[in-house]
Amino acid sequence: MTRLSPLPPVHPKRQAAGGPQGGSGSNALLTPTAWHTIGPFFPVGFSEGLADLTTAGTRGMPIRLTGRVLQEGGGPCVNAVLEIWQADAGGRFAHPRDPGWREADPAFRGWGRAATDAEGRFTFRTVMPGGYEDPAGTRAPHVNLAIIGSGIMRRLVTTVFFPGFPEANARDPVLGCVPEGLRGLLVAREEEAGRFGIDVVLRGDEGVETPFFVD
Amino acid sequence: MRDLPDLFAPYEEAAQPRVPIEGYPNTVRRNPSRAPFARPYTRTELTGPLDLSAALQPGDDNLAVAGPGRAALGQLIRVSGRVLDEDARPVAGAIVELWQANAAGRYAHVIDTRDAPLDPNFLGNGRTRTDADGTYAFFTIKPGAYPVPDSGRWWRPPHIHFSVIGPGSLSRLVTQMYFPGDPLNGIDRLWLSVPDAGARGRLVARAVPPVEVEGEWLGYAHDLVLRGRHATPGVA
Repeated sequence: MTRLSPLPPVHPKRQAAGGPQGGSGSNALLTPTAWHTIGPFFPVGFSEGLADLTTAGTRGMPIRLTGRVLQEGGGPCVNAVLEIWQADAGGRFAHPRDPGWREADPAFRGWGRAATDAEGRFTFRTVMPGGYEDPAGTRAPHVNLAIIGSGIMRRLVTTVFFPGFPEANARDPVLGCVPEGLRGLLVAREEEAGRFGIDVVLRGDEGVETPFFVD
Repeated sequence: MRDLPDLFAPYEEAAQPRVPIEGYPNTVRRNPSRAPFARPYTRTELTGPLDLSAALQPGDDNLAVAGPGRAALGQLIRVSGRVLDEDARPVAGAIVELWQANAAGRYAHVIDTRDAPLDPNFLGNGRTRTDADGTYAFFTIKPGAYPVPDSGRWWRPPHIHFSVIGPGSLSRLVTQMYFPGDPLNGIDRLWLSVPDAGARGRLVARAVPPVEVEGEWLGYAHDLVLRGRHATPGVA
């Protein structure tokens, strides 16, 4: 690589993959930049005030999504950062890739960020998401969750489901990608009315470790 | 309507880091033992937050000056570049967050307790938004290197952390930028965790020749590539 060239940085063409993963990306011009960990020193202020996705006018049932992030041995994963993304109460996203995006709730952000405390605990305030029809199948109400943290070189992604929708959960095309015996690990517990708990176990025994998805 | 990517291929594994990393036990403790499950990309994955500027306020793009008469210690630099997608199209309106150590290699963070001085005029974090051309720019100071505790004399080379939020939840990026020519780069265990040499090289900024810099600072150019392509190239 020529580092002192006066020309703009050059990103060489991706090697033609051709392998089983060739697919649509094999003839892309550029390769996505390599991920790295956030390290131990992600600014505290970057996660403040972002865990509440709602405002006074948000439609739907307010809920709290809370839990702990745990690491190998069951100890808390401190200073992990969680980012969530979900549909509004009507199952809409304020994004043109949703055909119904014009009906999305303007008073709902859909995105939130929270850092874990000394016990590994996090809490989001949001609304119960709506399910929706997708070309891949009927989506049950769910919240997509991404975890970044020190030592996590690429974000870990998973999806949280809710206990009140057993039939929709059983048909969900994403939950269906997880072996049946592990699906319960992705369904939150209703700890009290409107408060849902989920533990994210980054590494643990087979029946305990959270199932993650390919990003 | 904004020109949004709608095609997301799997990551090229050789161009992404591998774990575990020696001397960094959290790359074991926090790394799942089970392989991730393949899944279809549904609307939740293909959409994402388009405008977070109310929640993540940009406009904090000068880390080098804490206030009037409060310049941070260190070598003044300007880091700029473009955020692009895999089709080399500019990504406009992306949130770019940045954080780093001070010139002595110390972070202004409660858990960095190393015995190196803090600079009262340097907090070391900022946030901006890319313009219509995908361009971002920050003024800051060149960070110092620092040793990783209990790692067998592993020093992190000077580096800047980047977090980029693009136009879809699949176009998220967290990475680190390195400085060209630093002797610690080639022995850094994080940098070396990326198997592909080309991908590693693209984590290193380009030093802008001083004759091309319009002020009394050193320039570094660094582009970032987010995931995502366009199924119908040329159609907005």
